[in-house]
Amino acid sequence: MPAVELVGITKRFGDVVANDGIDLSVEAGEIHAVVGENGAGKSTLMSVMYGMHQPDAGHVLRDGVRLRMRSPADAIAGGLGMVHQRFRLFPELTVTENVVIGAEPTRRGVLDTVAARREVERLGELYGLRADPVARVGTLPVGVRQRVEILKALYRDARVLILDEPTAVLTPGEAAQLFEVLRTVTGNGASVVLVTHKLGEVLAASDRVTVLRHGRVTGRFTTAETTAEELVVAMIGRSLAPGPRHTPPRGHEARHTSPHDREARHSSPNGPGSPPPHGDGPTAREPDAPGVTREPYLLEVENLRVLGGEGPAPVDGVSFGVRRGEIVGIAGVAGSGQRELLDIVTGLRAPDEGRVLLAGHPVRRGRDPRVAYVPEDRHGRATAPTMSLADNLLMGEQRGSRFSRAAVRERARTLVKRFGIRTASVDEPISGLSGGNAQKAVLARELSRGRPLIVVEEPTQGVDVGAQERIHALLAEARDEGGAVLLQSSELPELRALADRILVMFEGRIVAELPSDEASDARLGAAMTGAAAGDATADTEGNTEGDTG
Amino acid sequence: MTGTPAPPVTTDRSPRSPAPGRTALPRAAAAAPVLALVAALALTTLVMLVTGVDPSLAYPALIRGAVGEGNLEYTIAAYVPTLGMALAFAIPLRTGEFNLGGDGQLALGGVAAAAIALLVPLPPVLAVVLPLVAAALTGGFLAWLAAPLRARLGIPVIVTTLLLSTPGVALASYLARFPLAERGTGVAQTPVLPAVAHLPAIGDSGYLTPALPVVALLAVLWLYVDARTALGYEIRATGANREFARYGGVGIERLGAITLAAGGAFAGLVGGLTVLGPPYRFVDGALTAPGYTFTAIAAVLLATGRPALVPITTALLTVLQVGGQGMEREAGVPSQLTQIVQGLVIVIVAVLALTRRRGTIRRTPKTAAEPANPHEKATP
Repeated sequence: MPAVELVGITKRFGDVVANDGIDLSVEAGEIHAVVGENGAGKSTLMSVMYGMHQPDAGHVLRDGVRLRMRSPADAIAGGLGMVHQRFRLFPELTVTENVVIGAEPTRRGVLDTVAARREVERLGELYGLRADPVARVGTLPVGVRQRVEILKALYRDARVLILDEPTAVLTPGEAAQLFEVLRTVTGNGASVVLVTHKLGEVLAASDRVTVLRHGRVTGRFTTAETTAEELVVAMIGRSLAPGPRHTPPRGHEARHTSPHDREARHSSPNGPGSPPPHGDGPTAREPDAPGVTREPYLLEVENLRVLGGEGPAPVDGVSFGVRRGEIVGIAGVAGSGQRELLDIVTGLRAPDEGRVLLAGHPVRRGRDPRVAYVPEDRHGRATAPTMSLADNLLMGEQRGSRFSRAAVRERARTLVKRFGIRTASVDEPISGLSGGNAQKAVLARELSRGRPLIVVEEPTQGVDVGAQERIHALLAEARDEGGAVLLQSSELPELRALADRILVMFEGRIVAELPSDEASDARLGAAMTGAAAGDATADTEGNTEGDTG
Repeated sequence: MTGTPAPPVTTDRSPRSPAPGRTALPRAAAAAPVLALVAALALTTLVMLVTGVDPSLAYPALIRGAVGEGNLEYTIAAYVPTLGMALAFAIPLRTGEFNLGGDGQLALGGVAAAAIALLVPLPPVLAVVLPLVAAALTGGFLAWLAAPLRARLGIPVIVTTLLLSTPGVALASYLARFPLAERGTGVAQTPVLPAVAHLPAIGDSGYLTPALPVVALLAVLWLYVDARTALGYEIRATGANREFARYGGVGIERLGAITLAAGGAFAGLVGGLTVLGPPYRFVDGALTAPGYTFTAIAAVLLATGRPALVPITTALLTVLQVGGQGMEREAGVPSQLTQIVQGLVIVIVAVLALTRRRGTIRRTPKTAAEPANPHEKATP
């Protein structure tokens, strides 16, 4: 009998089905990995299992008995424990106080601190979760805080431990120690549900794997009998949203720069993706196709680093270049450092190390005027939803000429016509436009200014197919007009259709660079999940000397 | 091409989000201030009835108290500082910041003007201009302090301005009681300012001074900057969506500082103008006692994000405020009742804004752009 079993869990948020009839059974004493891309429904499923969300359909069985789940308190009573990605600890309290809080041992109604400490020490020794019971949690490194979270669950007699992306905040050494601990936990007959998107740790640490995609189970595997490729196919698979394969009308010149002179190298996992490209680098390469002279990089990114406070660095030594007239794609599971990288390239954020050169000059802080930028977050960043379409189309050029309302609206009307934005009037708030039209407006604003570098995030997210084609055509057009385009997308077909080459990010580094005609789902997927690069956490099983606490 | 001859100054930054029902929207939004006022008056009437006051006596007394013979000029005299304080609150509000420190900025501005007028011998004209400039600078500085505290330490402006207000008032009070005090009287006030520093009176009543045209002119200037300049656009964009403005290359922290300083300068200027008018001295508590600041905040909130409405809502609430005192004299109704009206106005405007926003969120068609679910998005 499984220790815990989810039966037919369906959970909707508005019109979005986050979980669609998911079955999951976790045996006693096993580490069960739940993998999937961002948005696959992993966290929702865990929230349902832990009583934080009520499922619209389905139920949770614990040792074959149906649990009545109204809140996490019911889950805890049922022997479930969860370690959230963001820890829920009181930094001002000690380890012991954090562990026992809400279930304090008492003697005649008074908190029995000695017993509490002894119990925390006992559990720590039993499971190898070393943490000083009297240390203040706020002073401890992240890895130790995570142990406190696990202790908290074990103190409440958790027999099923749910960990949500536990290694996201850990260094490889800490991750290895964590997996040791999880082995001890399962060795005592408890079960572990490990939510992750890193295939390396799945293969190294789990007994069985359940793969989710778009809220459904797309694969169940026994770890020993599966491969990274198999998991990738289930995770990223062919079921990608149908994207246009050959939509963009390409200029012939652009086509001629490909494909033989494109570099197709997989870089080693322990170094930055590629050596810092310099303006004169490409000239040293083999001669190009006749009639085409190889341009120097317009955008040069050199050894960028963003330090992540206590956790791993979000951007960890990234270097690459983009030429005029090419589209360079960036692939990667969400949270691999793309967001931070693009914030630096556009000037919105300063790197901790490294630099970004645009036509030989550093990008200006606080939005470089040479960069066109289409952000992913349309409501939060790309537009001011309550402002009019005309006002939204103005941003960035308000200081360009004498400010006049008539001119602002006239310009807006011109853009509306040229980019085929459907709206009743330019005075309408942009939030009244459909997603596709709002996105076209953002593209119109950014692409109409002839800026040499164009940075685009998720250009077709949430837009209909018609707008999608139009947007792809616009990006290809910008490329053909000599723009250097940096395109970040989670839609692999989109990347393949548009990009000349694709950089894959994983854990803050560029781990692969593929010409788009060689970028199969499997190869991209393997790189995106760290499987191709020989994941750093996969080979750490022996090296757990030392205690960071 | 829309043939609207005079577009509303701004329709883009009211606290509501536009609802899908587009044609109905402007009407509904325009109705909000009216609705709030009517509801507030209705509730106040209820309070009158409950407390045994006859509304049919109280309201006419209120109107007479505000615009009746001899009272109109007084109402206008009260309108000027209230409008100035409204701008002190409204300008930073355009970038989304709440300046609740109006009292401190007002009092310090007033005492600064008095100090310059008393201590520095100046030729005519300059003797008026310089104290006013000093007043504006002082008020502006006190409000500006909130900007670096926010940028560096992340302390909300609403907190800083409010907390700096009391020390500001206290400092002004100290200056009026000791270093600048009129000797021998024991009253907490400065001596009468030299005659060159007096604002000339307009009309016979003695209530009206050039403060009225000055504040009115500055208000018009603000409306112009807000609606018709790049600076105003950037301020509105920052208020509408800070991240959008930052993304567009707008220096949002700088703008926040500018608008706060400008708002504080208005408050300080009001203090200066009041001190240079009758009775031509800084009297401790005289600036803050009438409650201009609070009335002004209510007026600005009642305008629901439309700057052009601010002078009108300010006029309305000033009438209520001044009329309340007439009502007290004539009908024996405590003038606190008008404060109830103001308080209710704020609450109702807030409730209307909230319910509308919530309604919009619910009705907005979900696009696939939204994260599959909020939790997945939060856990990269």
